[in-house]
This record gives sequence, structure tokens and C-alpha cells, in this order.
Amino acid sequence: MTLLEFARGPAIHWALIILVAGTIWRLLGVLVLTRGGDLSRPRDAFGNYKGYRTVFSRAWPSSEFNVATRYQTIVAYLFHFATLIVVVGITAHIEFIQSLTGASWPALPNAAGVAIGIVALVSLLALILRRLTNPSIYCSNLGDYITWILVAAPLITGLMAFAHLGPRYETMLAIHILTVALMFIWFPFSKLMHSIWFVFSRAQSGLTYAHKGVQI
Amino acid sequence: MSTSAAVAPIFPTFEQVCQGFAGQIGMLRQLAPEPTLTDAVRVERAIDTLIAETNAGEAVWLESCIHCGQCTTACHFFQATGEAKYAPMRKMELYRRIYQREVGPFRWWYKLITRPVKLKDLEELQELVYDSCSECGRCTMVCPMGIDTASLVHHLRSALVAAELVPAELAALTAEQKHRGTIFGASADTLMNMINTIRDHYGVTIPLDKPSAEVMVLSSAVDLVANGNGLLATARIMNHLGVDWTMCSDGFESANFGLLSGDMALWRQQSESITTAAQRIGAKTLVIAECGHAYPALRWNPMIKGGSLPFDMVYMSEFLGRMAKAGRLNLTPIDGKITYHDPCKTGRRGGAFDQPRAVLQAMNADYVELPSGREYNWCCGGGAGIFLLERATRLRDESFKIKIKQVNATGAATVVVSCASCRLNFEAGRVKNHWDKEVASLVELVADHLIDTPARTPAATSSQPGVTA
Repeated sequence: MTLLEFARGPAIHWALIILVAGTIWRLLGVLVLTRGGDLSRPRDAFGNYKGYRTVFSRAWPSSEFNVATRYQTIVAYLFHFATLIVVVGITAHIEFIQSLTGASWPALPNAAGVAIGIVALVSLLALILRRLTNPSIYCSNLGDYITWILVAAPLITGLMAFAHLGPRYETMLAIHILTVALMFIWFPFSKLMHSIWFVFSRAQSGLTYAHKGVQI
Repeated sequence: MSTSAAVAPIFPTFEQVCQGFAGQIGMLRQLAPEPTLTDAVRVERAIDTLIAETNAGEAVWLESCIHCGQCTTACHFFQATGEAKYAPMRKMELYRRIYQREVGPFRWWYKLITRPVKLKDLEELQELVYDSCSECGRCTMVCPMGIDTASLVHHLRSALVAAELVPAELAALTAEQKHRGTIFGASADTLMNMINTIRDHYGVTIPLDKPSAEVMVLSSAVDLVANGNGLLATARIMNHLGVDWTMCSDGFESANFGLLSGDMALWRQQSESITTAAQRIGAKTLVIAECGHAYPALRWNPMIKGGSLPFDMVYMSEFLGRMAKAGRLNLTPIDGKITYHDPCKTGRRGGAFDQPRAVLQAMNADYVELPSGREYNWCCGGGAGIFLLERATRLRDESFKIKIKQVNATGAATVVVSCASCRLNFEAGRVKNHWDKEVASLVELVADHLIDTPARTPAATSSQPGVTA
């Protein structure tokens, strides 16, 4: 078995199994806990439903916090969208997804894929630079840095494989797939789970405050 | 029922009240109970408390933090000092560790890779959850995950109660309220004496222990032991409105040191005495005095079955706002530009925004909103018991500068508050900084502007008969 065969075969498959099983385990472990009810009388009878708006409204900070949050918000949005586009938009990824699910769609031109991949990488660098230069704001721990490395690695190796930099293409591609596998394995145990938690967390707070007639 | 304005005042000014309290607070430190349990038991009790209080809600919030740093600058204590340890997300780090080790889905793993919690960790936590968090909730307004750090801090306070690690001043008052049912000695006798003084000197009647009444009114220790003007103002307004009201000698204290310290057994004892008295007299409305945290202690406490209680619980500013909106308050106009500071517990964490503004409007006030107002208002820095902590003086003083800047930006001459804690903190800050603003309490302002014709025959312009309290 070559390195590429290992990466494309057992490595990525086991990583996906751990990703799915771990995520379900962590979600269930939290969501099966009892939920403390709020017995106090709501400010208005249907007010609580308004709380769900927070899931969407919190996608962008209030203008009150414009200055303080501008950098983080804009750069984080660039990173998230650029990464998402690259993940689902370039030929190689679509072929991989098709091999798993059968679904397929038209790919971006290669040049666009590279450009967006670079945007993702540069924005990720911009985020870590700010984190490193403002330690008092970020309160970083080991998990934050491991997560950053495991997210940056697939981007870097993917761009290198695409540009035929570094070792020969097959090896580079194998390394790329292995870094993705590592990120998948890390996902359920790390803050990457925020991609799921945010819905629950925002909804809870939205409801808590809407109960009192406050829109957050 | 109402009084003539010619009576010479006998109660101290609020500046004097504030100075008097400073002396009393100093003595509290000597009265604080000493820890009685062994270190190991204290740690175990703290952990057990958190395990018991961690539901899915708390777990989701603890799981969601991504250390993005947005909350940091939203906190007045960080903003004022720039010190990393005051970042809101740091305040829940220890909670997260305990959660991960004891409750979370990967607890077996975190038990291997994280340090067990020691008493020293809890001792360090004390400053983070008492001195430097007023549970104001401003960080929740910016958090992209919407994490309600204030409620997590509240659980941590309960854990520190179990670990006998409540700061001295709060511990002393908690013990006093628990064992003697008083705060700063404000007992039922104190209440009766104050009622008699107000009746004898001002000719204002305060009904006490009527067997039944529509409206039950609470007071607070600040009013009973020092600021008689607060209770006097309340009585004048109630009599002006002509409502069927009473105070109850077995349930008159708004302040709840159970909620402030995190001692939820005391919280229950204290809040139940009030709800029991209100039910006994058949009250339709319970009016909570201007005492910010009494609002979440009673009205919004998730453990009080508000839906099935036969009466409404309203904060003083809410009650006054209802009356103003119903045209039942006859008030003279107010001079000068005015702004209003929403106490965290009644504003962002209570939703009573419109009512106090309606009261000011009823006085034709030249009203101007604070920049970063309403839901985004900066805490004054004295809430959740912090005003009482001598050790937190620097944090309070530094964060109050934000408040000064915020109020100055409005150009108002007077800032109105509706919370005794805020008011004490504002007054202390005003004196300390030689600040040229006037700090007024909403209830006293209203009383000062009452037109002494009974409002039951209101002016035709604002008549809305049939509106009940």
C-alpha cells in the first residue's frame, strides 16, 4: 500500500468514522442533560419565540461593538467563506465527495480555486497574528493553537499539492489528505465543534432574554 | 394622606447616607464568619454544587466558547484596567475544567489530562466572580455564540458559598440575613420606627400589616437604616395614587443576600417570606423597591412559579411607569436636561426599559439617552454586591470613569437611577471625582414632583379611569 493509498483509504475513512461518531457522542452527552425550566412568568405570552431570532441576528455584531469587533469579524468571515468555497468548489474535492455520496456539481476554474484558497490561508494567518499579539484579549490555550495548526495544515498542503510544490505530487496529495484526516479526528474533541454549538448556544441566550422582553 | 412641602427635612441627604454606609461596611469585615470545614471538604462541596447546577443550558455555553476575545472589551472591568484576568471568558475557565472533568461527555479523558481542582484555584476564583463581575451581561451582547457568562458566574458564586469563600462583607451580611432576618440590623422594629417617624414628622401614613390589600410594597435596608427619604417618597406616591396598599412586617425587605452571594437556600427563605405574605393578604401587585437585584430574585427567578402566583411582581420603576402611562401620576415639569441609567438587573437583564422613561416623559423632561444606552448600557461597577467590597475599590473607581464619560457625553445635568446599589456607587463616584452631575433616584424624583391633588380625579388630558394597579 502506498502512502497515497493509505491516505485515500483507511486513513480518511477512519477519520470520517471518528468525526461522525465523536460528534454524535459529544452532542448527545450534552443534550441528554436535564434542562432547567424557567418557571417565571414571561413578559409577554409569545415573547419567548422571538428568542430564536438570535440564532440569525448574532451572525453579525451590533453596531455598538463595531470598532472593537471589526477586525475579528471581517477576517473571520473571509476565512469561513473562502474555506467553504474551496472545500466544495474545486474539482478534486468534488470528485472525493462524489466517490462518497454520488452527488456532483460544476467546479470553479482552477485559478479561482487557488485565489480563494490563498484568501483563506492569509485570513487564517491574520487571525493567528492578532491572537499572538494581543494575549490579554484572547486568553488562548493549547487547544486554540492545535486547532489553528490542524486547520492551517490542509490549506497549506492543498495549495502546495495544487501548485506542484514540495515533494512529488502523489506524496504531497497523500500528505494533504492525511492532514485533513487529522483535522476530522480533532473536530469532535475541540472548539471546531462551535460550528454546531452556535445554534444551541445562541438560541438558549435568545430565549432567556426574550423571556424578559429583551432582544439581544 | 399627602403632606405639605413646608415640613423641615429630618432625613440625611444621600451624600450623608453614602458616607454612613462606608463606615458600616468597614465594620462588616470583622463580622465575617471563619471557614469551618477542611480544605478537601470545601473543594468537594464546590465541585458538587457545580455538578448539581449544571444542566444542558450551562453545558452548551461552556462547550461553545472559541476564545475569540470579543467579550473582553465589552466588560467594564477589563475596559477600565486592561488586565487580562478580568476578561469575561476567563471567569468561566475553572467552571469549564470542572465541567469537563465531572459532567462532560469526555470526562474520562479530561480526568487524565487536566489537574484536579484545588482550594487555591477556588481562592483565586473569588476575585473573578465577586470583585470583578457584576453579572451585568454586557459580554453576552457581543459574544458570537451568545454565551450568558453572567449566569455561569452566578453558579460559580454558589460553588464558592459551598466552599466558604464568600468575600468578608458579603459573607457577614449573608450570615446576618440568614440567622437574624435583617440587613445592617434593619428589622421589623426598624421598619415600624421608620413608619412612625414618617407619620409623626411628615404626616404621611404608611399602612402596615393590613389583613388584605391590593398592592404590597417592599422596602430595602438602605431606606430603613439610612435613607428615610426613599420610604417617604414611596409612601407619598402610593397615597397620591390612592391605591389600597400595605407593607408587611414579615416580608418587607427587597434586598436578598442569598442571590447576591450565591447562597440559594437563603435566597429561597427570603423570597418565600415575601411571596407567602403577598398571598396571605391577597395582593394583586407586589412592588419591589429600587433595589436592582431584587428584581431577578423575585420577578425573574426561574425557580419561582410566577405563572401560578395570584399576583404580579413589578419593579418600582415599572410600577411608576404603568401609573404614568395610565395618567394617574400628576407631576410638575422637571427642569434641566436629564438622562437615565438602566440598572443591569432591570434593563438588559430585566427588560424594564420603557416604564422609567415614561415616568420622565410624564414630567416633560428634556430627556436624552445615554450613548451605548439601554441593552448596551455600561454597568456602573457597583452591582451584584461589588459596592460592598473594600478590596474592589480600585476596580469600581476605574470602571466608574467609563460611566462618567458616558453621562458627560449626553450633556445632561442630572442622571436618574432606579437602584439603591447603583445610586450608592454613583454617589460615591460623584463625590470622589468632584463630578458636577446630580444623581437622582426615580422614586424620590417622582415624589418631589407630585401635584398634591389626588390623582383619582385626574386632569382631563390624561384621564384613564378604570386602570388598576
